[in-house]
Amino acid sequence: MLSYSSLLEMFRQNSVGIPLITRKVILYHTANKIAYIPPLTSLFAKIPLLNLIVALVFWKPFFAVVFAPGLVCILIAILFIIWFERKVTARVQWRYGPLEVSRSVGGIIQPMADGMRYFFQEVIVHREAHRPYFLQFPLITFLPVLLPILVIPAGAVYAINTPYSIPVAIALISLIPMIIVAIGWASNSKFAYIGSLREAIMYFSYEVVLIISAMAMVIAYGSANALTIVKEQSVVPGIVLNPFAALAFFVAIAMATSRFPFEIPEADQEVVFGPFIEYTGIIFGVVMTLAYEKLYLLCMLFSILFLGGWSGPFIPPLGDLSPAFWLFVKTIALMMIFVFFRTFYARYRLDQALKIGWSTLMALAIVALGVGIGLGATNIVGWL
Amino acid sequence: MSNMKEYSLPVPVKPPAEIESLELPVPPGLDETALKEDELVLFVGPQHGGSGHMRLIVRVHGDVIKEVIPDPGFVHRGMEKLAENRLYIQNIPLLERPAIMDCINFSLGYVRAIEKALDIEVPERARYIRTMMAEICRIGTHLYDAGILAVFLGHTTGFMWPFALRELTCEALMRVSGARITASYVVPGGVRRDVDRGTLNYINEAMTYIQHKLKDFERVFITNPVTIARMKDVAVLSKKEAIKYGLVGPFLRASGVEYDVRAIEPYDAYDELTWDVIVADDGDSYSRFLVRANEILQSISIIRQCVKALKEMPEGNIISADVAEKKKPAKPAKPKEGEGEKGENEKAEKDGKEEKKGLDSIKGAFFRIFGKLTLPRGEYTTLTEASRGTVLYTIVSDGQSNAPYRLRIVTPGWFYLKGFMESLKGCRLADLQAVYGSFGYFPPEADR
Repeated sequence: MLSYSSLLEMFRQNSVGIPLITRKVILYHTANKIAYIPPLTSLFAKIPLLNLIVALVFWKPFFAVVFAPGLVCILIAILFIIWFERKVTARVQWRYGPLEVSRSVGGIIQPMADGMRYFFQEVIVHREAHRPYFLQFPLITFLPVLLPILVIPAGAVYAINTPYSIPVAIALISLIPMIIVAIGWASNSKFAYIGSLREAIMYFSYEVVLIISAMAMVIAYGSANALTIVKEQSVVPGIVLNPFAALAFFVAIAMATSRFPFEIPEADQEVVFGPFIEYTGIIFGVVMTLAYEKLYLLCMLFSILFLGGWSGPFIPPLGDLSPAFWLFVKTIALMMIFVFFRTFYARYRLDQALKIGWSTLMALAIVALGVGIGLGATNIVGWL
Repeated sequence: MSNMKEYSLPVPVKPPAEIESLELPVPPGLDETALKEDELVLFVGPQHGGSGHMRLIVRVHGDVIKEVIPDPGFVHRGMEKLAENRLYIQNIPLLERPAIMDCINFSLGYVRAIEKALDIEVPERARYIRTMMAEICRIGTHLYDAGILAVFLGHTTGFMWPFALRELTCEALMRVSGARITASYVVPGGVRRDVDRGTLNYINEAMTYIQHKLKDFERVFITNPVTIARMKDVAVLSKKEAIKYGLVGPFLRASGVEYDVRAIEPYDAYDELTWDVIVADDGDSYSRFLVRANEILQSISIIRQCVKALKEMPEGNIISADVAEKKKPAKPAKPKEGEGEKGENEKAEKDGKEEKKGLDSIKGAFFRIFGKLTLPRGEYTTLTEASRGTVLYTIVSDGQSNAPYRLRIVTPGWFYLKGFMESLKGCRLADLQAVYGSFGYFPPEADR
């Protein structure tokens, strides 16, 4: 039985240190006296219940899942990337893109305005839908989106330090297509049915490649622990060691998150958002961001496996958040590359995507696996 | 309810035959038969992102299309009947409505039928202006179709760029006729307004810009590997099939048939200009698109020649004197500039037998000239090469009234609908929209 004080002590033992918040702010100091504002966290240190809440918020597992690199970072990333996608596409296409909502900053709060609109829109559940599943599956999607955060560390901010972090993360991310297929089934309409089938076939075409190319890097580093993998990349990033794996993983991400040219399950000219055709209002907002959430997770995995993860110059005021910040920057940069594909690619057909997944991409992944095994056997990574 | 008695009435009632026709074009029991054969019936449209104003009833086996039943007519406006209640001249704005981007070509066919009936010879300058404007409309329509095709493939940049380029053709149309679309510019005997040198210069510059930007478009969309992968060897119609299903226009030429009304039965100034009939051999979606992309370049070349010829001609003389009841003396031509006078003299020497001088302007005299237009009794048919293919006009006149007794218009969309549906058999479901875009099918045009 945990007592209140032991719980508090447990949270405080394993809390995120952010000097920016925990530092005392000195107002002035004369000969012997120093006047300062106590930090925000110690303000609540003596108040019961509030101190527990504050300690919980800065408790590393909670902080990782809810703030960075978890939910809050995902939301910021989505809001930014949707705006960026629209803006960069508009730039290429001789347009302005989102502008009117906040003219001075280039309409950057447009996604937020759209989200607000979704909130106040009516949610229609059509007669043929399997009502309970239709309404609950979009909310269940947060499970496979947030659970991988438990095992994907961001430097010092991590929830679970496990030697199987990469496989577990990939396994949990792989649950997302299941839920999309289930959404399509619950919608009970012809286009949703076709969309779910497309999602299933796309899943079949990229998943093996995704796993093989990730495992190639795991073999090369001799560990599946993300902390070890990033430590091994301190000199040479993984993308230099095994570019084949990086390329295969990159294309597999594009297929997995239905980015162009593989935006097949949701093709809005063909199956009108496929599995999500029947959704309206805020539930549509939730399912629409699903692909972006998946993109965020997979880009984070890509930067951990190939781009040196959270390594970057240390920023003292951020403290423990500094590596998380660098991971976030790398992830956002990768996402920006993925959404830029929209401007110059059309959409492949389903059978063509399947063929690409099992021929070219599979060959690339097998070469990557060979290279990974070679790297692992010769232990070149260890010498570096 | 249970203690109610059932009485049978001995009245022989058969369901009227119209009941069955209400189910058309969906054959009764289509869903059931399809399910038995492990197929799925999809209703694509008319509220579908990739259907246009029509419904496509698709039978899919797995991912392969077995059959597509078209259900057109959602935008049928009864052009033919409407035309019977309007003056001949009032029908011009009406008959542009099927394809508003392609307005000049559509009104050209109708106006030529009237000219054929009245035996009017159009002045040279008007003929060149008509040709130039028809080709501008052709460019606009082809760009529009290319944009629609691109967005059906999911290529949004390929959608935006042609639409932006189309602005130039709209601007040219506006400067010449006053309207960006539905110009109502061609009238019996000539054209409604003259074109000045500034506008001609603008048209020349716009063509240069379009040609320049088309290279970018080619790099981004036409030669994009994904575009080629999606359209190559998809929905192939062989030469024989194309003729059998009555394809027209660029889609017929894409199957290797060298047929173009502009070349076979030249009208206006087409036989005085040099241009090629673009033909492809494959008959697949990609060649259907390429033919039209190359036709844009041919149109640009035609427009350049027209602009050059028009610059050398004197201004004025845009309406045939015949149309003004054949006896009205033409207004004396006022040479505006010195060069105009000189050009006129040259032309008079060259073309000695042209005795009648046409009108320079019909400002203020429009109703007087065209209001009582009556055709002699008979039937007059013209074929015109509109952007999407041959458009046929037939006017039947009773010889007394100032409105057509009957007007028949067959648009290219209606001609190639059968071929479009046949080509879809055996394609993948995702190709439905790609083939739709490759045909540039435009329901308002087909439905009239």
